[in-house]
Amino acid sequence: MNRIYHLLKKEFLVISRDVHAVAVLFVMPMAFILIMSLAMQDLFSTQSPVRIPLLVSDRDGGKPAAALLKALRENASFEVKDIPATLSDGEAAAALNDADAKFVVLIEDHFSAAIRDRKPRKGRKPLVVLVNPVVGTQMQLIVQSVLANALGKVRIEAMTKEMSPLLALARIDPRAFRQPSEANIEMRFVTRGEQRFRAPNAVQQSVPAWLVFSMFFIVIPISNTFISERGQGTLQRLRSIRLSRGILLLGKMLPYFFINLIQVVLMLLVGMYLVPALGGSALTLGNSPAGLALIAAAVSFSSIALALLIAVVARTTEQATTLGGLLNIVFAAAGGVMIPKFVMPTVMQKVAELSPMSWGLEGFLDILLRNGGVRDVLPECLALAAFGAVMLLMTAVILKKQFEGSASP
Amino acid sequence: MTIRVDHLFKSYGANLVLDDVSLDFRAGAITGLLGPNGAGKTTLVSILMGIVARDRGRILIDGLDLDRDRDRIQARASIVPQSFAFYPTLTARENLEYFGALYGFKGRRLKARMDAAIDAGSLQSFLGKRAAELSGGMKRRLNLAIGLLNEPAILYLDEPTVGVDAQSRSYLLERIDRINRERGTTILYASHYMEEIEQISHDIAIIDGGRIILHDRKEDILARRGAVTLTLDRLPGALKEALGRVAGLRVEAETLVLDRHEDLNRTLAGLFDLLARHGAEVRALNWGNGHLEALFLELTKRTLRDE
Repeated sequence: MNRIYHLLKKEFLVISRDVHAVAVLFVMPMAFILIMSLAMQDLFSTQSPVRIPLLVSDRDGGKPAAALLKALRENASFEVKDIPATLSDGEAAAALNDADAKFVVLIEDHFSAAIRDRKPRKGRKPLVVLVNPVVGTQMQLIVQSVLANALGKVRIEAMTKEMSPLLALARIDPRAFRQPSEANIEMRFVTRGEQRFRAPNAVQQSVPAWLVFSMFFIVIPISNTFISERGQGTLQRLRSIRLSRGILLLGKMLPYFFINLIQVVLMLLVGMYLVPALGGSALTLGNSPAGLALIAAAVSFSSIALALLIAVVARTTEQATTLGGLLNIVFAAAGGVMIPKFVMPTVMQKVAELSPMSWGLEGFLDILLRNGGVRDVLPECLALAAFGAVMLLMTAVILKKQFEGSASP
Repeated sequence: MTIRVDHLFKSYGANLVLDDVSLDFRAGAITGLLGPNGAGKTTLVSILMGIVARDRGRILIDGLDLDRDRDRIQARASIVPQSFAFYPTLTARENLEYFGALYGFKGRRLKARMDAAIDAGSLQSFLGKRAAELSGGMKRRLNLAIGLLNEPAILYLDEPTVGVDAQSRSYLLERIDRINRERGTTILYASHYMEEIEQISHDIAIIDGGRIILHDRKEDILARRGAVTLTLDRLPGALKEALGRVAGLRVEAETLVLDRHEDLNRTLAGLFDLLARHGAEVRALNWGNGHLEALFLELTKRTLRDE
């Protein structure tokens, strides 16, 4: 125990005096969490979503056109700006580029007439949308859908007015027709064991992602200290002190395991207190501290084991930093840390499942977002443990070979 | 503790580093292991310490087989590597405490061992300084002190004075000599500095190309190389011819080396008479042992700086 205590103490002293290691392990993930939580706040928020700039030219000027404009202005997804009705199509297109807007909606001069038409009309449509080419398909579909919805409302309003005598005769309340469609839809976010009406926020997504990323970044300090020990002859001295490979590896794993746990606590605190203090949403921890501890331990084990393998394989700290950094970025990009998995195409989602960071992230999301427990994170924990065990085994084998005959003559 | 090495072989891939090395190191003696860089010194020391595996051969230390009793042997031995084998961001005291604790010491015993090592390395004045901030000489002393924490009966020193100034080198050599005298520590001192080996060693082993080419007591080795060396201001052709007829005398440029033999006094008298007759003046005279460098040159046909 005395040896373990001193191994821990030494590693903490070395890390605490290494400004770069502290920056990589603590400052970088804190910065990521703060920036991403605050930057993505609107993307996940139902209160103040990102508003799509919309230029509208009302060439019709009738009541139905005014009703459409009103519907668009009331929609929180749009930031509606009027442009003169006198603009030609070409001038409207130019306005689209000048104003850096995404869409121009042209309410044509026959809009009101078309709304009242009892037969489908041929020729130019009553509503024309000019689209900035930078706009993605998904946003186009959203705008199209919102416009169709608004148009539907205006038509129903017009038809309800015209049909009011008939409706009265049939004892139908016109308000049933006017009721907005979304009023009949309820969004529920499904978590383990319960259904909640509260939407997940940006911090709930960011903290697990960047926490896993930072935990895997332990590869940099571990490999650097290990390679330095090898280069400086400290490893040689430690072996002459009869430190077994097991103790040697444990001596590296335990301190960094604690450092990983400190990262977890610190990042959770950042999410819970610092992000809301800066205007973001607060992180909630779910209902399973045991599940949280379990997934944190599993991520830590696998990241440390991977770091040790890189440390014994790399010859120089530069090699280790490049290899470790590259692997981390690939794991993060593929594993849903940098880009959420739900926006990835199916093939990439399958690829993501190969990344240990993805297993860790899913585990944390199980606890923090889906309100899961120990049982829910067991599959991810087992996968991470198996990954870590394989890495550790490879490390031990390579280390044994190095111990047996690689000292320079 | 005696160290016996029998038919030791070690290679790294196709590179044969130790080639049938057999020798005994005397208990309580300082043996200087002299050889150029790449001769196999570090490998031999590392194998003896049990931290590098050998291909073939047997090593007995105080009668204990290194394969069977590695733990017992390592507990009584220590190595001071050529590199600074400590943590630069820790202070000298923290380094000593860390390695002392890893040796298994704690509490008062750890403190006692640390105090002894601090004293041996004269580290008192810079214990609180980070190792990275120490001068080259101080770092060497800390490196040595860490190696003394387990009070080893055998101490392997691998180029312990590399990169230090003359003053620090002299200090280190004095410390190592004192450790040997006061504690009876068997020391294997690997170096490519002949002056150090000549100064500190009781026995000398010369290694070259992975083979031990000479191993004996220092006095016996140096005695092989002449008893009197005279350096002349000039050597005229007639004198050179006359000197060729003097028994036991070799002429190397302007230097005359007279081997030790029974009739040395009479030979010397005749030699000075001969020099006087040819008007040659003696610029320097060395009475006693020969120089290790000349012997090394004779044995290996090259100097240590050739490689």
